[in-house]
Amino acid sequence: MPPTSVLDIEELTVRYGETLAVDRLDLRIAAGETVALLGANGAGKSSVLNAALGLFRPTAGRVRLLGRGPLEAIRAGGVGAMLQHGGLPSETRVGEVLELVRRQYDTPWPVGDLSVTAGIDGLLTRKVDALSGGQRQRVLLALALAGAPPLLVLDEPTSAMDVAARQAFWTTMRALAGRGHTVVFATHHLDEADAVADRVVVVAGGRIVADGSATAVKAAVAGRTIRFTAPGERGELAGLPGVTSVSAAGELVELATSDAEATLRALLARHDRLPDLEVRGATLEQAFLRLTAGGTR
Amino acid sequence: MSGLLLFQLRRVGRNRQYLFFTVLLPALFTVFFTKIFGNLAADPAEYQANARPYMVSMMAYGALGAALGATIRLAFDRASGWLRQLRVTPVPTGTAFTVDVLVGALLVLPSLVVVALVGRFVNGIELRPATWAALIAVLWAGSVAFVALGLAIGLALDSQAAGAAIGILGTVLAALGGLWVSVEWFPSGMAALARVMPSYWYAELGRDVAAGGTPSGGAVLAVAGFTALFSVAAVAVARRRPLHAVAG
Repeated sequence: MPPTSVLDIEELTVRYGETLAVDRLDLRIAAGETVALLGANGAGKSSVLNAALGLFRPTAGRVRLLGRGPLEAIRAGGVGAMLQHGGLPSETRVGEVLELVRRQYDTPWPVGDLSVTAGIDGLLTRKVDALSGGQRQRVLLALALAGAPPLLVLDEPTSAMDVAARQAFWTTMRALAGRGHTVVFATHHLDEADAVADRVVVVAGGRIVADGSATAVKAAVAGRTIRFTAPGERGELAGLPGVTSVSAAGELVELATSDAEATLRALLARHDRLPDLEVRGATLEQAFLRLTAGGTR
Repeated sequence: MSGLLLFQLRRVGRNRQYLFFTVLLPALFTVFFTKIFGNLAADPAEYQANARPYMVSMMAYGALGAALGATIRLAFDRASGWLRQLRVTPVPTGTAFTVDVLVGALLVLPSLVVVALVGRFVNGIELRPATWAALIAVLWAGSVAFVALGLAIGLALDSQAAGAAIGILGTVLAALGGLWVSVEWFPSGMAALARVMPSYWYAELGRDVAAGGTPSGGAVLAVAGFTALFSVAAVAVARRRPLHAVAG
C-alpha cells in the first residue's frame, strides 16, 4: 500500500542553544498536494524543511518522508530538494553535474526534457563557475528534479531570481504539480504562495498559525475582526455577509470577516445595540501576513 | 561510487595550480637542485649518493602536497554548498567521504611517478627495478598520513583558511621536515624540530628504501602514529561538523 502521507511531521521541536526555532509543530502533507510554508525570515520554515530532510537531528519529534526515515527516503530516490545553502561544485560543467546526479537514481528524468523543464537547455556546456545567480538556481532545480522524485522540497527557491525568472519558475512548478508530484516550498512571498500552492501553511515563531487554502489565507489577510458583547443565540451570525468564522467566549463574540463593512451593515440592521463594539484591523497572524505580503511589493 | 570518483578526479585534474605545485614544481626542483649539487660530487658514486635522497625528498614533497591539496578541497565543497546538495541526492555521505580519501590517495601517484621518471631519465639516478617499485609503493602507502591530515583540516577550516592552509602547510612540512634542504645541514635545534615533523619520517621511509634497504622501524612507527593521530582528528571533526553542515 503506498503511503498516503508523503510528509509526516509530529511534535517537531528544534532548538539552537537558547533559541526555540520550531515549537512542537505537526504537519501532514498528502501525496499530490502543493503546499507553501509561508513565513517571515526566522519563522522556522527552513528548520522545518531541513529537519524533514534529515539534515540535522531535531531536538524532539518525529519525521517520516514517504513512510520512511528521511535518510532512507532520500537514498531510495524519493525526494528532490533545493536547499537555501545548496550549491554547485567548482571546476565542472553544468551537464556533468546534472549527469552525475541523474545517475544516482534508478529512473532519472530524461536529460533533454529535464533541461527544458528546468530552463537550462542552453547551459549544459557552461562552466558552473560562470553561471549567474538565477542560472545557478535553475541548475539546482534541475538537480532536484533529476530523479523525477515524487516529493520535491524547495526552500525559498526563487530568492536569487528576477521577476521574469520567478514567473517561469512557478509555471514549471505548477506543471510538476499537475503531473502528480508533491511540492512543498518555503517562501516569504504571499503572492507566490497564492499563485502556486493549493494549501498555505503559515509559520510564525516556530508554530503553525494558519493552515488552509490560499483563498482562505488571503481572506484572512484582507479581513477584519469584529467584536461585541451579545447574550443569547448567535447561530445566525455565521450566515452574515463576509463572515469567515465565529467564536465566542462568554458574552464576547468575535467575528472574522473578509468584508467588515457588509458585515457591520447586516449586524446593525438586525441589532438595536451592539455593546462594546470593536473593529480591529488584524490579529497578530494577520498583521504578520500583511507584513510579509507588503515585502514583495 | 565510481561515477563520483571520476567526477572528483576530473575536477582536481582541471586545476592547473594544483598540477603545477604537486607535479611540475617538485619535478623542476629535482632537476634544478640535483644539477647544482651534483656538480659538487667528486665521482659518480657520490653523485648517486647525493642525488637519490634529494629525489626522494622531492617525491615526498610532491606527494604530501598532492595529498593535502586534494583533500583540503573538501572545505571548498562544503563552503559552496555542494556537499549539502549531494546529501539530498541518493549518494550516501559515507561514499562522498570515501571518494575524497581515494582521490587524495590516487592523486599522490602522479607526483611520485613523474619525479621518479625525472630522477631516472633526466638526472640519471640508478636503482634496481624492484627498488624503484618499492620506493613508489612505500611513499604511496605512507602518504595516507597526509590524506588524513588534509581531511581533518578540510573538515575543520572554512574555505579561505583552507585555501591558505594548503600552501602554508605544504611549505612548512617541506621546509621544517628537511625536504628542501636536508636535515644534515640544519642547526641542531632545527634538526630536533625536524624529527617531530611527519614529513621528515615520511621521507625517511623513502630514503631507507632508495638506499637499498627496508624502512626503519622508527620511521614506520612514526608515520603510522601520525596517520592514526590525523585520522582520529579527522573523524572527531567530522562528528562535530558533518559534511553537509553549512560552513561557518
